Amino acid sequence: MVSFSGLEFLFRLLPIFLLLYYITPQRHRESVLLLESLIFYALGEPVYVILLIVTTAFNCYFGMKMWRPGNGLSIYERPNRRRRNFFLCAVGMDVAVLALFKCMAVFVDSALFPLGLSFYIFKMISFQADLYRQEIRERPGWKQAALYFTLFPQVESGPIMRYGEGNFGAPGQCSLEKVEEGLMCFAAGLGMKVLLADRLAILWNDLQMIGFQSISTPLAWLGAAGYSLRLYFDFQGYSLMASGLMVMLGYPYIVNFDHPYASRSIAEFYRRWHMTLGTWFRNYVYIPLGGSRCGRKRLILNLALVWLLTGIWHGNGFNYLIWAGVIGIFIILEKLFYGKYLQKAPAVGNLYVLILIPLTWVIFAITDIKQLGIYFGRLFPFLGGPGIAVNPGDISRYMRDYSAYFIFGIALCVPAVTRFFREHKSHPLMVLLLAAVFWLAVYIQSNSAGNPFMYLNF
Amino acid sequence: MKKLIRRCPFLILLASMGILFSLIGLGGRNNIYEGQEYDPLKKPVLSAVFTAMKEGIYPWQIFDQGSAPVMALEESSGRGDQADRLSGESDLSGQADTTGEETMALSGGEEGSAGASAQGGAGSQGSISGNSLEKEGAESKTGADREEVSVSSGEKAAEQFVSGNQLGKRDPASGTKTESPDSHGGSRQPQADAPQIPQGRLEPLRESTREEYLNHISADIYGDAGVMRAAQYEFSQVDESYFDDALFIGDSRVVGLRDYTDLSEHADFYCETSLTIQKMLKENFSGKGTVEEALSENEYGKIYIMSGINELGVGTTENFMEQYTQVVDTIRAAQPQAKIFIQGIMRVTGKKNSSDAIFNNSNINARNNAIATLADNKQIFYIDVNEAVCDEEGNLNAEYTFDQLHLLGKYNDLWKQFLMAHGAVDAPPQD
Repeated sequence: MVSFSGLEFLFRLLPIFLLLYYITPQRHRESVLLLESLIFYALGEPVYVILLIVTTAFNCYFGMKMWRPGNGLSIYERPNRRRRNFFLCAVGMDVAVLALFKCMAVFVDSALFPLGLSFYIFKMISFQADLYRQEIRERPGWKQAALYFTLFPQVESGPIMRYGEGNFGAPGQCSLEKVEEGLMCFAAGLGMKVLLADRLAILWNDLQMIGFQSISTPLAWLGAAGYSLRLYFDFQGYSLMASGLMVMLGYPYIVNFDHPYASRSIAEFYRRWHMTLGTWFRNYVYIPLGGSRCGRKRLILNLALVWLLTGIWHGNGFNYLIWAGVIGIFIILEKLFYGKYLQKAPAVGNLYVLILIPLTWVIFAITDIKQLGIYFGRLFPFLGGPGIAVNPGDISRYMRDYSAYFIFGIALCVPAVTRFFREHKSHPLMVLLLAAVFWLAVYIQSNSAGNPFMYLNF
Repeated sequence: MKKLIRRCPFLILLASMGILFSLIGLGGRNNIYEGQEYDPLKKPVLSAVFTAMKEGIYPWQIFDQGSAPVMALEESSGRGDQADRLSGESDLSGQADTTGEETMALSGGEEGSAGASAQGGAGSQGSISGNSLEKEGAESKTGADREEVSVSSGEKAAEQFVSGNQLGKRDPASGTKTESPDSHGGSRQPQADAPQIPQGRLEPLRESTREEYLNHISADIYGDAGVMRAAQYEFSQVDESYFDDALFIGDSRVVGLRDYTDLSEHADFYCETSLTIQKMLKENFSGKGTVEEALSENEYGKIYIMSGINELGVGTTENFMEQYTQVVDTIRAAQPQAKIFIQGIMRVTGKKNSSDAIFNNSNINARNNAIATLADNKQIFYIDVNEAVCDEEGNLNAEYTFDQLHLLGKYNDLWKQFLMAHGAVDAPPQD
């Protein structure tokens, strides 16, 4: 996989890709970008790039066959059997491919799962569904459709943009201002990933290294908090980099996170966390099943199904099912009982989210169920006993080593802080700060590139 | 241009800084950045500026005169200072000599004082062999003989070693457990069963090849003569109070020993993640100061060193050995009364061993074979915790670790028990 935060991407691939793209006349840019995207994917997955090409070709073909202009009056025209068959065929194939590889990953070897498959297949399904529902007004050319599936900023880990959001066929002009804006987004994302997420990752690694039996209870909680921040900055940083790249290429900015840790309920948290995935499940699973506009039983069933699928989508271990199950249960409880009270009591709601979500991330993080039990035993020692060879002073050492990352990380979770940065983004000091962040990240990457043990020192 | 800067200040700033760093990187390539890795496909030329910074080489040094040896000069003068200080404090009783000598060689005689102190002690060059197995060894070597062995020992030691090696029983690389001290009851008696193990410091059998250097392979240039000699010492079982005057220095593995056993209630620990042998004496351990300061302020009875995992893949066995020797000699000079325990680098698991080009056990074993030769079984000992934590194949037991490298907290007790079984207690004076 080619990482956006790696030196080969930053100083080799990206400048070449952008230069080629910019010097190409407007009408050929989509072709160039398509080619670049395939090269990008092939560098990470030299074999499975064929799967990407084949699924792209199939989906383009079915999409072209199915397209019919909406008449603007009713979204759902009387279904036409031929279109319906194409739709079912395309979606059936997409789901089958995803399911096949998922099974191989679960039952044979997780290394068999192609890079980004769950992301690009979801885009394909979204494309077919939007076409079928005639939500795409302009007839997509094969080039635009193929580009939508393979766009290099999104092909590895999203965001799962919808076709209609991409302005395909009528791309905005690439102006210097857009490049500037995109680059700033990218640098901010790079900083989050390299300076925060990758540093905090070492904390989690240390806890595993020590063994969960031997960590003190305060350290277990610090670990849960650190993992929560790390996951957020890893993914949010990645999303910012991806969206920044899209803006640099002249496409719209796609929002994927909106300060989730400032939410007041679990349901709200997941409306603000990995938003494109949440929207996908809402648009293509939850609402077609009837959403919340049906009876209580059906609502529970719909939510349960959505979260079951979410759990399966996220990983191959049993722990992901537990994770999704727990969240599903809380969301159902909120919907049925206390959700409205949480929204009315800000502090209580915030606290509820800030305690519960890190605990769910612990389930997400630990794939071994026995180890998961041990960790919860350390979080709640009255359940798990005293542990083995615990060093009660360990927390002070980790507080000393990591407090800076926690302070910056927590600050960046506060909406007012990021708003301040956004509003003053063209201030010279902010420009300098962001440049410093960029070069600091490059410094760290230079010293860890190809040398994992510099990054995780012993 | 002004307009352009107003339109996209960030882009212009990043681009110009990128160009600047690249130019510096290019300009220094044959000069201050000579030692930095450069890979046209993966590592841009500007990254040399950053990798060098981590090593304390800054861009402005490009303008220094004769900038190529910037680091070497800095280092050697630093060592000169240190040797000065240490030899000033210690009583120049022969043990300090080696340090002085090496310092002189390194600093090219530019420092009068260091040179002088080295000269002052030069008369007793044989001091190292003077430390060697006098009691146990084939006796009756005169001082002159000894001197010859240690000074020009190269081929001689090697020859002896080879013949000893041919007679040797153990497979050097297999990492199987060394015979326990008990089974070696005769080790204090004259070495009839392990003949011709040379005394004094052993010389390498060969040099690392360029291929080995380029492929980050640590060459096994010493063979297991040092390990075999070290194993002849009969260690004693001791209790925790033995560590009351002990100092532990080391990397993250030692951090585990400190944090997850009660040894830290007895001994001083100067250890931190990513410590290397190069940094060992000068590193400022947070809240504690440097090892040099510790050595000048306290008197220790035992000093335990473990370092080497972070240095794998950097330099050659020779480089590592050179630095290790310097550290041991410096410590020896500062605290002549202390017993120095060189701890073999802990191995990695079989999984890591078979998948990692650098962090594998053959590299670790090669370097352990090198540092083991420093042991004289009198003041300097070599002990190998791998005996306590490895499986039958000589790999770190996979059950004892999560990350294939470090002992899980609770298994550090195995290490502690191993240390307690490997105390060096002076034999009561024989009348």
